[in-house]
Amino acid sequence: MEKLKNILNKYETEYVEDYKSNWVKAKLKNKEDLLNLIKDLKEAGVKTCSTVSPTDFIDDNKIEVNYFLENLKDKKNVWLKVDLPRELENCEIDSITPLMPSAKWHELEAYSTYGVKFKGHPNLRYFLISRDYYGKFPFRKDFDWKAHEKNLIENVNSISEEFFEEYEENEETFDKEGSRTVLNWGPTHPASGPIRLKVYVNGENIEKVDADIGYVWRALENLAERKDFIGTIVAVERICFMDNPNPMICYSQAVEEIAGKEITPFAKFMRVILGETGRIASHLISMGGFFGTMGLQTFLMWCLDVREYFLDVLEDYSGARIATACVEPGGVRYPLNDYKAWFETLNKAINEWERVKDDINDIFLKNPLMVSRAKDNGIFTKDDVEEFYLAGPIARASGFKTDVRIDEPYAGYGELEMDYVTCENGDARDRLFIIVKEVNQSIDLIKQAMKKIEEGVEAGEMNPAKDHLVRMPRRMPAGEAVTRVEWARGEMLMHLVTMDKSTSPYRLKLRAPSVNHTMVLDRLISGKTLSDIPLLYGSMHICQGDLDR
Amino acid sequence: MSVGAALFYIFVFPGLLFLLLWTFFIFYFARKTLAYVHKRVGPHFNGPGGSLQTVWDVFKLLTKESITPKSADPYLFNIIPIITPLVAALPVILIPWTPLINHGHGILDTNYGVLGLVVLIGVEPFLLFLTGFGSHNKYSFLGGMRILSQMISMEAPFFLAALSPALLFGTMNLYDIMYSNTYLTTLILLPGAVIFIITMLGILEQPPFHIPDAEQEIVYGFYTEYAGTNYVLLKFAEFTEILVVSAAAVTLFFGGFRGWGFDSFLWLFIKIVLLGILMVAIRASNPRLRLDQMLKFTWSWLTPLAILNLVWIIFAKLYILGV
Amino acid sequence: MLKVLDFFNYARSKSPWIVHFCSGCCSLEMLAAMGPRYDWERYGYIMTPTPRQADIIFITGLVSKKILPALLRTYEQMPEPRYVVAIGACAYDGGPYNDSQSVIKNMTEILPADVFVAGCPPKPEAIIAGLEELKEKIKRGEPSASSQGGLWKKMKF
Repeated sequence: MEKLKNILNKYETEYVEDYKSNWVKAKLKNKEDLLNLIKDLKEAGVKTCSTVSPTDFIDDNKIEVNYFLENLKDKKNVWLKVDLPRELENCEIDSITPLMPSAKWHELEAYSTYGVKFKGHPNLRYFLISRDYYGKFPFRKDFDWKAHEKNLIENVNSISEEFFEEYEENEETFDKEGSRTVLNWGPTHPASGPIRLKVYVNGENIEKVDADIGYVWRALENLAERKDFIGTIVAVERICFMDNPNPMICYSQAVEEIAGKEITPFAKFMRVILGETGRIASHLISMGGFFGTMGLQTFLMWCLDVREYFLDVLEDYSGARIATACVEPGGVRYPLNDYKAWFETLNKAINEWERVKDDINDIFLKNPLMVSRAKDNGIFTKDDVEEFYLAGPIARASGFKTDVRIDEPYAGYGELEMDYVTCENGDARDRLFIIVKEVNQSIDLIKQAMKKIEEGVEAGEMNPAKDHLVRMPRRMPAGEAVTRVEWARGEMLMHLVTMDKSTSPYRLKLRAPSVNHTMVLDRLISGKTLSDIPLLYGSMHICQGDLDR
Repeated sequence: MSVGAALFYIFVFPGLLFLLLWTFFIFYFARKTLAYVHKRVGPHFNGPGGSLQTVWDVFKLLTKESITPKSADPYLFNIIPIITPLVAALPVILIPWTPLINHGHGILDTNYGVLGLVVLIGVEPFLLFLTGFGSHNKYSFLGGMRILSQMISMEAPFFLAALSPALLFGTMNLYDIMYSNTYLTTLILLPGAVIFIITMLGILEQPPFHIPDAEQEIVYGFYTEYAGTNYVLLKFAEFTEILVVSAAAVTLFFGGFRGWGFDSFLWLFIKIVLLGILMVAIRASNPRLRLDQMLKFTWSWLTPLAILNLVWIIFAKLYILGV
Repeated sequence: MLKVLDFFNYARSKSPWIVHFCSGCCSLEMLAAMGPRYDWERYGYIMTPTPRQADIIFITGLVSKKILPALLRTYEQMPEPRYVVAIGACAYDGGPYNDSQSVIKNMTEILPADVFVAGCPPKPEAIIAGLEELKEKIKRGEPSASSQGGLWKKMKF
């Protein structure tokens, strides 16, 4: 920590201070210093950029750009701020992408939504937003979207036109006599989901892959600004329904931090149980989908069967299967009047998994055809993990020891016993195995948390019928917070800014792991054959919901 | 052959009606068994046990709009689906179905039955390639190319494996092959049968060789642009081919309609269904291979093995059967 | 003649095939409806990989502006008669994304739906129940709502 502070103090800063246990927060005075500082930090081991998040302070006439830089090995992180003028012409800063490739798409996103120009970015273009927003920077506070809404049909037509132009261009560039062409893999492709991969192929061989995203862009970050602090949960939980509770935990922690409230131990362990249940539900789909991409539906169906039992747990608690809204600032939403009955449901789900676990292992995980296709295919090394910031299961499949639950314990994880689960090779097969291992780990965590709650109730320290929620103030003080959780697909980071006496968030940045995982697809798939696209794409466990937000 | 008998063969058995019923049956059977492995139920509410489901499916598809895409070649696109089921159904006349027809011989009793069978089965995929070619769709075209390369590499071991009973018994007449088969010769032919069944999966585009219509990779391969009646015809051809090739396997290697106690079509049918169960079991437990893996497998393993198998057959003929 | 048409309508109602298209979160519940516990194949529904062989298209929840042309294009590729099922609150009026800039709120004005399934997201039982409603409509031989009108005819896609 001291080392990082010394580096930061070499430059002109407004302040350098500690934040939480493993962050250093600093504000640069001169934006010209940025590149040199990043160079120094990189030498000190801070090699990855988690995200770039501009905040539009319209009253102060400035845009504050936040850089979240992480050292994945030593877990010492830097939160860097730079002020920029708000006028479009002057709102520019040096791009850090040449130094930290992991920032590539985050900078594009910041440019498209806020109009912050990044000098020296290898390919600065509009990204994520649909064509009708090109050049309008919709997340700025002064963007009048009601006026924009009026010409719906023209807007949609302009999107179609963009596609047609591209089509014509492709027809012209590629010779009809040759075997090179562009395949649009998605958004209506059976295995793709709402994303378009422009696959440049020569016969069956892939030359280049270009991802076109934004097909489920809901502008959630902007939507949150129009809801109150409780209502924002609706936006936050819809990042991706596969793992529903964890984003809410992340958001709730940010609000609690700003309000300065501590939640009850019962709520902490409830968050662990709910979060891990969501993780299992998500992993079961990922596991099944991995085989689904190779044309085998049986495993998917078996996984869906088990998943239903875990969804029963969520339904028992909250009344909804996947849109649970079960965590809110101050704790968890509902009391548990009969906690034993709920634990019974949980045990039933766990037993269901234990029952099929051996069959899955024998029939599918050792399947020779799967091994022949996935082994040594699409390898990520540890350096790749740091360079492109692959998070969660993908990083751990390469043997990288990173897990927010251990690095920066939240909810009840600090009091539970857990260790990093890792695989070694980092190929597609390991990315499947790690998920299976993590499901087992989650079940272990759920059992521990259940035990803690039972002990707590017996000792009279917890009351499941009353302890679930701490009263939160309706109006928040001014402040900002950064929280991270280990989501099913990797690290999720939220940056919440509030104004004094506000009833709704001023700015909520959602950083989700699928962005980086999609960014590396080009590197992963180029040079392979057409059959490898669905396999490698499925092995990254990408969800378009958190890719686009 | 009288006109009445000819009409009966063409329209009832083993012709149109039989093939239609088989299509209804095998589609339903595959869905139901696959669902069982999936821990599901499969078609259940339409008809007794869902048995009418595929009938409704076919009638629905027949009344749907039959689309010919603007950029597709209209003649190729629409004529091939008519030719394909006809070609697929042709080998039916060579196979001995039941002792009741022609005293157990095939309808066309020829001394070149094996040859006719493999040639007629081998023509089919080239027609499917033309469907992909005529669709003028990138995915269809890729599917067509894939089926072509799969076919060329699968047919060499397929022919060689089909030759092994002919070599062992010294005849190409299917009836003679069937009646020469004993328990001992079935054992001798077993390696050939295994190679035949593996290549059969490749030729029928069944898993793990369902590479030409790989849903997750190239949408639906050569089927991508087909709708309504054309799609029914192509599917009909596919299922007819499954019947014909399975029946060929049973006739060549497992004694056709001969069985314990009495000879009947029933035995043939049971053996075909057992092969069908094997295919569904493979479908339910194995992912798809990559195209280059398939090519490597056929050329560096399957074809040499098929040639070795012929050596083994000659060895067995000389020293075990002692002809 | 009428009897024959009735027969084909009956056959159509018994075998609805659904095109594989997902534009939003509700497709997760479609996956669950395919799965072992709900298994909509019991009723004859299956997913087809290409729109050419499908009868029904789902508007699975939200439709963002960018995916709308793809949705309409997929719809246009389906052979007649074709039906539209709108799933979830988002397909009706934007639902929880009603305030969002990039989500279409009047989706069913653009592409009128034959059946709405309420919920956010609707449970698999609800989706199957909605499809059973549609079956009745097909059996009666009614034309689909989307063929009667809708803004989609004015759009380029």
